[in-house]
Amino acid sequence: MTQTTPKSIYRLIAVLSFIISVNFSFGQAFNSLWIPDTLSGTTFNLNLIDTFKQLRTGNQTVTAGVNSDFWGPTLFFNKGDTVHMNVHNYLNDSTTLHWHGMHLPAVMDGGPHQVIPPGTIWQPYWKVTNNASTYWYHPHLHTMTQEQMTKGLGGFIIVRDPQEAALAIPRKYGVDDIPLMLTSRRYDGGNAMTYINCSYGDYMLTNGTPNSQVTLPKQMVRLRILNAEMERAYNLGFSDGRTFYVIGNDGGLLNAPVAETRVILAVGERIEILVDLSSNTIGDTLNLNAYNGGFGLGFPGGEPNTSGEFGSLLNNKTFRLLHINVGAATANAITTMPSTLANNTYWTANDATVNKSVTVTGGQPGQPNNPFGLDNTHFDFNVINKTVNLNDIEKWTITNSNVFGHTFHIHDVEFKLVSRSTGSVGAYESGWKDVLYLPIGSSATFVAKFDDYSDSVHPFMYHCHFGPHEDGGMMGQFVVRGSNTVSGINAQPNISTDFNLYPNPAHNKLFIQLPETNAGVYYLRMSDVAGRTVYMLPQPQLESGIDISMLPSGIYFVAVTDSKFNTITKRFIKD
Amino acid sequence: MKVRNGLKNIAILFLGFCCLSLSKPVNKTVRDFSLQNVDGKIVSTKDYKDAKGFVVVFTCIHCPFAKLYHERLNQINAKYSKLHIPLLLINSSDTIMFANESLPNMAKVAKEKKYSFSYLFDPSQSVAKDFKAEKTPHAFVIWKEDNQWTVKYNGAIDDNGAHPELVKTNYVTNAIDELLAGKSVSVAEGFSIGCAIHYRK
Ligand SMILES: [Cu+2]
Repeated sequence: MTQTTPKSIYRLIAVLSFIISVNFSFGQAFNSLWIPDTLSGTTFNLNLIDTFKQLRTGNQTVTAGVNSDFWGPTLFFNKGDTVHMNVHNYLNDSTTLHWHGMHLPAVMDGGPHQVIPPGTIWQPYWKVTNNASTYWYHPHLHTMTQEQMTKGLGGFIIVRDPQEAALAIPRKYGVDDIPLMLTSRRYDGGNAMTYINCSYGDYMLTNGTPNSQVTLPKQMVRLRILNAEMERAYNLGFSDGRTFYVIGNDGGLLNAPVAETRVILAVGERIEILVDLSSNTIGDTLNLNAYNGGFGLGFPGGEPNTSGEFGSLLNNKTFRLLHINVGAATANAITTMPSTLANNTYWTANDATVNKSVTVTGGQPGQPNNPFGLDNTHFDFNVINKTVNLNDIEKWTITNSNVFGHTFHIHDVEFKLVSRSTGSVGAYESGWKDVLYLPIGSSATFVAKFDDYSDSVHPFMYHCHFGPHEDGGMMGQFVVRGSNTVSGINAQPNISTDFNLYPNPAHNKLFIQLPETNAGVYYLRMSDVAGRTVYMLPQPQLESGIDISMLPSGIYFVAVTDSKFNTITKRFIKD
Repeated sequence: MKVRNGLKNIAILFLGFCCLSLSKPVNKTVRDFSLQNVDGKIVSTKDYKDAKGFVVVFTCIHCPFAKLYHERLNQINAKYSKLHIPLLLINSSDTIMFANESLPNMAKVAKEKKYSFSYLFDPSQSVAKDFKAEKTPHAFVIWKEDNQWTVKYNGAIDDNGAHPELVKTNYVTNAIDELLAGKSVSVAEGFSIGCAIHYRK
């Protein structure tokens, strides 16, 4: 053997320690659950990036994230604040970013119409009117949703409000108040994530962490659980069979905690639960599991196969979502459960003045060119499927006498489930919701009020939240029609006319002067001389000008669309 | 309805960009090509009279996985150009979609990373289309047979992007070594990972 120099020994040690850490990380041992960073305030900078992450032994996995290598920061909003988002798309693809569960103008919603090309900054903003709860954001680019979500794009939104803040419930983020994003992935031989002809993952990635574990304090602990899967539902429960308490649904707290030992959480749904660890001993362990064995035909993830498009190593069995170690209690630990949480007044079926129905169609086996649809049609950018009048309370019945289970998600509103054909609505799903689980051979009816925001042109979506299904066109769109073409935040009278740009050339700020002081801009799009969009500004607030300081010098075009949907384009020079 | 149509057109424009994917397997043969190098000169495969083959790697500036391979490309070229198998690096990005993928920016990277090989600009994407390149980085080993360039290997450069010290299989250099030894290539395709190359319609 040749003489080994100190330098090469260090290198060898580095390599060996890396190999050891890889074996530790990806063998049977647990990895610490990643808790997403937090962003708060009223301005949020979200950079969508392509990146890679060491998720398995061997090559890295190509991933995408928001300010991160998988998933993104948790955004804290205060109810009543107006939040401004700077979404910068650094991806290798166009994308969109949808604020799931948020009540906001359609043009801010981030659905399939608000395509953000690579290199573009999109700046939606809205007043937070949602109740305190757990929401999320994710891409919604039609036909690309599954791919982009598979790579990891998304994040939590936690809304706070005074009513929730007054309750004695756990609220220390990452300590006794834990966000849990449940998802799984399949990998090919090169460790790339599979998203074609793939409904289920084979390996859990709770918060993006393989084989995750967390130490939770010996007290009452709050888990905010999101099903961010492509199709799989989770029948949640603890390994010791203990009772836990559901305190919140998608859109807010329940009126009172609901004791359960098992709850099904389908794709897109969130649930907040309290679990009492105060009578445990420090050092105790338990698991949060999915009890997915033994379901009948149509339960998403109940299929018997272990491979193939509808198979998975996790199908039709019990598997671990999170390993929990019980640690010391914190100071001022919460150890009791409030008996009441909120005083929601829900809509009832009698409140509705308009009835609508949606029926699951298509998807029959052996018909490869007939993907699942709604009402015998598939999503078309140019077709508005339904119209709702502003301030109407509507009752929607979703019917699935089809071949498989689905979920149904509607944008713009939180709804109240009022009935299910399978029996009464479960107490655990009795709060405000924006996603419902629609088992095979059943129908579900909800009531919602469509208030605040009308826009006769820009639609909201309703769809199945299974990635492969929505990408396949199991989605429709509706507009909310008011007396004005556009209403809501920054709504302006309809004035279609010319505008001035100044200064020109401009260096740091560009000002838009409208000829009448009360004229409104519905949309402003700035592009460079090659036609690349650089800014997308829905209903921009133009009083303090547009910051153009970071643009390279050159010729740019500003296309201003007013609320009558007339567009005028002007040129300026950035020097 | 102007806005709506505008939004729709943008959506369709970029959806068109994003979803095209080329079907495998790669061509058995590829054509000679001439492209502009970062030094401004035109480089042609025909200039290399003695070449037995080429390592052709498609890359781009912005893809994080492509950025991991600068040094390994230099090493491959250092070893094999002497053996008449030079490396040619090609950027076939859609320059409308990605403003930063330009010849001046490529020249900056080539200087900063001390590229020992030609870094060629393929703004028409014609060379990438001929190879059916899908990703960045995407490597091809082509070999001269009957006065034609035959693709002998296509896929990843090796099997560990971020940790060169943990590479187990060097797909590209293994293929060249086998060809130089007069053998057939045992692994003709390796998992190609990185960012998709978007083809302009
Ligand atoms: Cu579905």
